[in-house]
Amino acid sequence: MWRAVLAGRRLLRPVSAAVGGAPRPELPPRVAGAPRGGCAAARGAGGGGAGALGAVAERRRSADTVLPKFNIDFVVALLRQENAKDICVIQLPPEIKYCNYFIIVSGSSTRHLHAMAHYMLKMYKHHKEESDPHTQIEGKETDDWLCIDFGSIVMHFMLPETREAYELEKLWTLGSYDDQLAQMTPQSLPEDFIFGLTPNSSDHLETRT
Amino acid sequence: QGLLRRAVSHSFLSFASITGACRAIQKLTRVRVVDNSTLGNTPYHRPPKCIHVYNKTGVGKVGDTILLAIKGEKKKALIVGHKMPGPPMTPRFDSNNVVLIEDNGNPIGTRIKTPIPYILRQREGEFSKVLAIARNFV
Repeated sequence: MWRAVLAGRRLLRPVSAAVGGAPRPELPPRVAGAPRGGCAAARGAGGGGAGALGAVAERRRSADTVLPKFNIDFVVALLRQENAKDICVIQLPPEIKYCNYFIIVSGSSTRHLHAMAHYMLKMYKHHKEESDPHTQIEGKETDDWLCIDFGSIVMHFMLPETREAYELEKLWTLGSYDDQLAQMTPQSLPEDFIFGLTPNSSDHLETRT
Repeated sequence: QGLLRRAVSHSFLSFASITGACRAIQKLTRVRVVDNSTLGNTPYHRPPKCIHVYNKTGVGKVGDTILLAIKGEKKKALIVGHKMPGPPMTPRFDSNNVVLIEDNGNPIGTRIKTPIPYILRQREGEFSKVLAIARNFV
């Protein structure tokens, strides 16, 4: 159900408000027919969103961009050009001061991932001004997970198996309600844990002179 | 009394408290693995210890890779928090936290519950993957 089997479609589905703090309520549409905002969770039936997103050529003015030109629409258009599968764009609320958009992309093979990553970097370098920070591709030695951090956009290129193992979409959309987090055994402090760094705290086996 | 005393890592019931040297993470420090990997969470009679720091100085701060000896195996790990106070306006943790990664940089666990400092983003290195599986930031 998290798997979007739609090649190269950006799925917009407002997540229900009951889900934890991460999703943002749907913003009013800026362009007619293309509601944007909320967390774009990858779901099976995103048919309505796909048709409206055909008009990605219109430059919607999004407030959170790295550059005026290198914004999220541009990135998604490039990904579609590259035949990236299962593009998942998640818009993070400003409380999470990590980035504005979190993109997860699947590729068909290691070479495909490397090619996509290098292409995105090339386009970024082409469009950026002098004052913007340099970006590097992380994960070049791996063969299943690469990522690039563009400041306000973070992109992850993974193979489908890796994507299923980590389930990043679930973590970033569900927040605290993620099931992998819940399955982590809660760690409790052992009974001999001494809180604080006072030099005079009583210790069990310490001999004081 | 310039020596700091602290209790050892949480997941192991050792009853000795040691006077730690006033440096962050170096060889033979006991660390706490904070992700949900099986290697980090299965109990063992010895706590995971650092055996090498990949740094010019032998002291590891937040964002450095170290070699850990866990359950008789050697694994690389990334330091995400230490007990020593760092630069001002950076968080200081009550335990030396570490995330297990493989040799190519992929994290072994899939989720991290403890808070991760934001300074990892500004540091040069491959931290986006660890930040992607983290839940809270500090």
